[in-house]
Amino acid sequence: MTVSDEELMAYADGALAESDAARVAAAVAADPALAGKVEAQRRLRTLLRGTFDPVAAEPVPEDLTLLIAAAAAQEAEEDMTDARPSSELSPGKPHVIDLAAIRRRRMAEAPVTKGRPRPLRHWRIGLAVAATLVLGLMIGTQLQRGTVTERNGALLASGDLARGLETRLASAPDGNLRILASFRRRDGDYCRVYAATASAGIACKDSGRWVLEHVVAGDGKAGADYRQAGSGQTDLMAKAQDMAAGDPLDAAQEREAAAGGWRK
Amino acid sequence: MSTDHFFQELTALLPRLRRFARGLARDAADADDLCQQTVERALKSHRQWQDGTRLDAWVYRIMRNQWIDETRARKRRSQTFVHEEEGVAIGTPGDRDAENVVELGNVGRALARLSEEQREAVMLVLVEGFAYKEAAEIIGIPQGTLTSRLGRGREALLRELGEAA
Repeated sequence: MTVSDEELMAYADGALAESDAARVAAAVAADPALAGKVEAQRRLRTLLRGTFDPVAAEPVPEDLTLLIAAAAAQEAEEDMTDARPSSELSPGKPHVIDLAAIRRRRMAEAPVTKGRPRPLRHWRIGLAVAATLVLGLMIGTQLQRGTVTERNGALLASGDLARGLETRLASAPDGNLRILASFRRRDGDYCRVYAATASAGIACKDSGRWVLEHVVAGDGKAGADYRQAGSGQTDLMAKAQDMAAGDPLDAAQEREAAAGGWRK
Repeated sequence: MSTDHFFQELTALLPRLRRFARGLARDAADADDLCQQTVERALKSHRQWQDGTRLDAWVYRIMRNQWIDETRARKRRSQTFVHEEEGVAIGTPGDRDAENVVELGNVGRALARLSEEQREAVMLVLVEGFAYKEAAEIIGIPQGTLTSRLGRGREALLRELGEAA
């Protein structure tokens, strides 16, 4: 009975068909030299795994997970053509994401300069903010098409969302975008709490742009059934209260602010 | 299918992809770059992935192809500056930085001496745990070729590592 080295290796790997494996097993049992070879092959596998498995146990660099999250966000945005049935949306409690805090943290972080220069690093940091937003959103909900763009690490409202923030009054009853409240924060900037089909948030008019400060996954029915505010919206209102200097704008103040382009 | 599924699975694969990348590139910074490029490629072409097929095999294939491209590009770059007779380490670009493999120890050094072909076969089967057939498909070679590359790679490793293995 002869056993080739290749068979022996495949046997050690458990890669032989049953009948072959039985034949090799019999040969190995009868020949200590063969048994030693099989044992050496198995030790080699153990040694290799012992060397490389710790790499798989290392925490994955944030760059990589954010890269994927950002792509998922972009795709979600592209796929979103209309309001989805609420059954597709996550039933879990949405998390409010504090974008301003993330931005501050990113700015405070010294640039990572380990190893060779990474030309993509700067770009990735900007992307990371968008991706961080998405980490909270991607579980079951999606951004509306063209409503958010990312620039220099800030998420800006664009398209319909920007237009809505600019013109819609809190008293307006319907549409895909509803304004829950308008207020001024401590630096005097005007801010608005909004609920759109797939997301809700707080946007503040800063240097002519609507910068998203907080975003939360929507409950999918902002326009249709807005009186049943989801828990995410309740959280948002609490955030707004923390940010606001004074009371929310009343209808007259809101109209006046809108007429003035929300300039402070 | 929901495309979320793709992104979630890809994210879940990252630890394994980093392990495979370290085996191919050996240098940790090179391995991170390889991972990054692989993920970018996978994201760019993700509509080519067919749901129901194994995502891991698909992404591993992207990674090893990316690595082949990278080693070829390096070879071209190094030949621009150094004449071949003066000692370009053909096929083992990782050799240029001996200290970089120190953290992988004896095993890393022994692996570094294998050809790229043997190394990827060893990594896919012995570390990543793919069946011979799967590993052959990832590399794009017949199973017999995979088996012989794997066999030669292992013999070399056992010689090199001797009693340790």
